[in-house]
Amino acid sequence: MISSMCRALMAATATLIGTGAVSAQELQYWVYSDFAQGDALKLQQEFIAEFEAANPGVKIVISGRGDDDLTSGQIAGAASGTLPDVFMNGLNVGAQLVEVGALANIYPEWMAMPQEFRDQFDADAVKSCSPKPETMYCIPYTGFGEIMYRNLTVLEAAGIDTATPPATWEEWLQQMKKVKESGKSAIPDQTQVFNSVASMFAVAGDKAQWGIDFDRKQTLIQPEAATRALQTFIDMKPLQSGTSRNDQGTKDLFITNQLAFHVVGPWVNPSYEQAAKESGLKYDYVLVPGGKAGDHGGVKSYEFVGVAPGKNREIAWKFAAYITEKKQMARWAKLLSRYNANAAAMQDPEVSALPLIVKSVEAVKQAMDVTPPYFVGTVPNCYRSIMTDTASAVADGEYDAAEGAKELIAELNDCLAK
Amino acid sequence: MNARRLLPHYAMVLPFALLFAAFFLYPIISGFYYSFHEWNAATEPRFIGLANYEAVLQSRDFARAMTNLCIYIVITVPLGIAVALALALLVDSFTGFWANFFRSAFFLPVVLPAFLAATIWRWMYAPNFGLVNMILGWFGVPSINFLNDTGTMLYALIAVDVWVSAGFNMVILLAGLKNIPQDLYEAARLDGASRLQQVRYVTIPMLAPVLFFVVTYGFISALQVFDVPWLLTGSSFTAYGGRRSALMFPVMDMMGRAFGAVRFGEATAYGFILTFVIILFTALMFGFRAWRTPK
Repeated sequence: MISSMCRALMAATATLIGTGAVSAQELQYWVYSDFAQGDALKLQQEFIAEFEAANPGVKIVISGRGDDDLTSGQIAGAASGTLPDVFMNGLNVGAQLVEVGALANIYPEWMAMPQEFRDQFDADAVKSCSPKPETMYCIPYTGFGEIMYRNLTVLEAAGIDTATPPATWEEWLQQMKKVKESGKSAIPDQTQVFNSVASMFAVAGDKAQWGIDFDRKQTLIQPEAATRALQTFIDMKPLQSGTSRNDQGTKDLFITNQLAFHVVGPWVNPSYEQAAKESGLKYDYVLVPGGKAGDHGGVKSYEFVGVAPGKNREIAWKFAAYITEKKQMARWAKLLSRYNANAAAMQDPEVSALPLIVKSVEAVKQAMDVTPPYFVGTVPNCYRSIMTDTASAVADGEYDAAEGAKELIAELNDCLAK
Repeated sequence: MNARRLLPHYAMVLPFALLFAAFFLYPIISGFYYSFHEWNAATEPRFIGLANYEAVLQSRDFARAMTNLCIYIVITVPLGIAVALALALLVDSFTGFWANFFRSAFFLPVVLPAFLAATIWRWMYAPNFGLVNMILGWFGVPSINFLNDTGTMLYALIAVDVWVSAGFNMVILLAGLKNIPQDLYEAARLDGASRLQQVRYVTIPMLAPVLFFVVTYGFISALQVFDVPWLLTGSSFTAYGGRRSALMFPVMDMMGRAFGAVRFGEATAYGFILTFVIILFTALMFGFRAWRTPK
């Protein structure tokens, strides 16, 4: 009895070992946590199933992580040799990942793809992944361009004609003042988050100056443009809600008709859409006004798909290319009504019929990159905090705009020099 | 012979010793080594002497974080213990159902995950429609932006931390209270001591060892404050500390240097500076206690 049980156990073990011998080549695929839940996860799993069917012997394991977990996991993985094979992250941490060796230079693989594949992607987004000749660290994936949500009820109550959105910063500011006079808040506090400070620089500063010269360790920002941008924070101080653009409180104020404008990415639209259905919120979204008519502000950025250097690189690249290809990206855009870096997918008739995508495509064309240049040098944390701190200090009246600009540039250069 | 007799004892300690060495001693020793090197976790470390320590000590963020920490500790620790002691005395005065009810109710914030506690407080602190502002509004106080006004941010954090930690300290103090012999109170009452005098001359002296633990633990926890301010300010590795870094603390700054700026050498140096401060502080506490204890 015992010997027959032993034989059965050994047979089972042998079967398991045998299975192991021909087991799948397993790829670890890390995504943002919102890609690993609900409908987004279902679609990701569909992509995976299709790829596995087309590549027998390959098994993809998807894992969702929060922003910080994604970055720290990739950095720690690079140090310990346990990197995921394919992973997402944001362009703003690209330089850190290059520094620790988490990203393979996929330029040879990219160039080996048919021209038709390469032409699918937004040229600027591809440029963001390619900091120098014959170097490419990522395939641009999802992304955003900021848009301005307008609460039409608040604007109408303030006597503003909502048919034409404000074309310039001056027109926008006049509308904000009218909103305040009607007893409502015009805009969230734009000084609190680095991206909203950047956004205002795109509105009133100079988009060409927003960046860092890593060779000279100096900011590209010049006093005149910085003064104009900082003046907007002084102008907005009495008009704002006190909440940051990312606070839940800001969305609540907008939904309850207490806030007129919310400049942010397309990810808040589902909340506003739901509020429109359930509580009758009247809103729309338009391009962020610029310094002069015809120009537009706002920032843009992309999430990317990277491939780890290592033994799975070839199949990992194949998978990365598969999920970023036009067909998949069009399905992705249709499901979430969200912009992505595959320009060909954005032109798909079913995709280009979606109003949020149409507006996002327009926004991306005019918006400013959040932290350029990408994959060149790590933006020190002090750079970001100096930017928000100076914007706050100017808004709080510690400096006037010109003094603030001078202080800002000196401190940024000091931070970069260290 | 003696060694053979002790062998089973060593064998029993060995699993723990191995794990302790692998997951505690090794990281400390290697961390100390890396604190003298420029190291980004992937490339070869380069020896730079004390440059990491200098960089940390001279940085603007370190000065801010330490200033915030000092103010935070000076208020949070005594306030937290005073509140916990008051709660413990309150619960101790009840018996049966109400004692259990209050003990559980006050302990609830301790078992609440930090992210949930922070989310609840973010809502309560929200300007205009948050619970706190709503209540203040009834008394004609204009809306306060607790988590974005640099004048209120630190105090808003302290309120949350006292709320979270009071339950834990209360349970420990309550256990201490239960151990105080009732005849001491009886004697005090016979001598005409009021309730307040009983607390002053009986409860607090008898609770001294427990209070010492609570105070020391409170200080050590406060020196390592991280999760609540991180969550209240919606921080990330690249942007943390809230508006004008009003809620920036040393552990947050250390994490940012490690995973935001990929300066692991600098981050480990930061960790050792903080460890030194904690050890120094704990030694002072023990020294003070030894000095106060009658020989």
